[in-house]
Amino acid sequence: MKRMLSILLIGVMLTGLLSMTGCTSSETLEEITVAMELAYPPFEMKDDAGNPAGISVDFAKAFGVYIGKEVIIQNTAWDGLIPSLQTGKVDFVISSMTIRDDRKEQVDFSDPYANALLAILANKNSEIKTIDDLNQAGKKVAVKTGSTGFLYAQDNLKNAEIISLPDESACITEVTQGKADGFLYDQLTIYRNNQENPDTTTAIFIPFQNVEYWGVAVQKGNTELLNQLNEFIAKFTAEGGFDELSQKYLSEEKEAFDTLGFKWFFDLEE
Amino acid sequence: MNIFVLTDEKTHPLKAAVNLLLLTAFIVLIFWFSLSRIGVTFHFAFLYPLRGRLLQGFLMTLYLSLASLLVSLIFGLLSAVMQSSKVLFFRYFSKLYVTFIRGTPLIMQIYLFYYIVGTAFGIENRFICGVFILSIFEGAYIAEIIRGSLLSIDGSQLEAAKAVGFTKKQTIIHVILPQLFARTLPALTGQLASIIKDSSLLSIIAVIELTQTIREITATNFKLFECYLFLGVLYLCLTLPVTFISQTLERRFNYEN
Repeated sequence: MKRMLSILLIGVMLTGLLSMTGCTSSETLEEITVAMELAYPPFEMKDDAGNPAGISVDFAKAFGVYIGKEVIIQNTAWDGLIPSLQTGKVDFVISSMTIRDDRKEQVDFSDPYANALLAILANKNSEIKTIDDLNQAGKKVAVKTGSTGFLYAQDNLKNAEIISLPDESACITEVTQGKADGFLYDQLTIYRNNQENPDTTTAIFIPFQNVEYWGVAVQKGNTELLNQLNEFIAKFTAEGGFDELSQKYLSEEKEAFDTLGFKWFFDLEE
Repeated sequence: MNIFVLTDEKTHPLKAAVNLLLLTAFIVLIFWFSLSRIGVTFHFAFLYPLRGRLLQGFLMTLYLSLASLLVSLIFGLLSAVMQSSKVLFFRYFSKLYVTFIRGTPLIMQIYLFYYIVGTAFGIENRFICGVFILSIFEGAYIAEIIRGSLLSIDGSQLEAAKAVGFTKKQTIIHVILPQLFARTLPALTGQLASIIKDSSLLSIIAVIELTQTIREITATNFKLFECYLFLGVLYLCLTLPVTFISQTLERRFNYEN
């Protein structure tokens, strides 16, 4: 009895010691912060418990493991992403952000890790067949403020009325209610929301612009981090990291994209 | 004579000037220090080509606020009258309205009214919808302002009016209304400043007022700090005069009382 007790005691002390060393080792791990807008499932989102989840989250964490730092995720509104880099509030941004020349003037981008195309979610009654049908006087186009759809509409849909809203769900509501004739966003979001609202919407997947490449953004001049990111992206892609993430988060959609003949997000070949 | 401490009832203009200057220097210093720490420099020149859009947004905010003030005044008055009504339906209706509106955030009301009520009744125009939503919101606060002033009129005055033989109509015109006017007007003017600020939330349903204009501009040029600083200045251009008028009215009516 006495022996058992002492064994138990040693056991407890050992686990205590182990967990203590565990604590100290994670405390000494250097932190690196990434900003993303957790409002774009399944790339950036929150799980039911409210923790960050999604492809970009796993991607960022894998990068943390690669460089031996602990990744802290900061949920930041889209408008605030680039400013948070500029002011050094965060180290990098992974938020399905398209590499664009105007953004390059503010921040530096890594090599592309994914690509996407815009599509149109149209109201069923507005008889939109192509992007040109939207570019007419009296047509209303819903876009998310600051998204590539917003920028495309501002540059190319001069005849239409542009309704820019702060979030995706409001844009979709505008279309399903017929307040807007169409919503410009990436193919995946359009596909999913068309599936959810088959009675009120139609999806138009005819490409009307060049492929958009997504990159990781860092503060201007932070070449050290940028090089690490580029190395990691090459390695992660080669090792099939993105295929695993597709399988984990988007297996159904991947099948649908294949049947529709769309290019997959992580298929970067021309 | 100490130049930093308030000694007399009236502050000497020189004394006021010295202290205000000191305050300005203090604020500028803090701001300048923060900016140099984060290493951001400002250039406002890019705003000049955008002056057309900015002016449009500015005017939109002004129209929205004025229209909302008018409509919310009607809602507020109606609600205040209903709250003192003998018909229970009206009384409860008004109470429920004020409680619900004051107890929920404006952003929720905007989404609900615009996408549910607005769609159900076919109000497509964003400006009209915006004025309605804002008026319903501010009306609840105005109702409380009016109710508060009504309650503050001493009951003995009504007895006095009765004693000198005033009819009910005369009592309202000569006793209640002048006091109500004096008591609510400063607060109402102050409420206009709130309306101006609250109208910025209508940007979430894409009413292209001042805040939405700035949001759209920053989305393309990423000059968040310059744009929002300028936005603050533009809102101050609207709210400062209103606040000043409100304070003047308050002083004047206080004096008369």
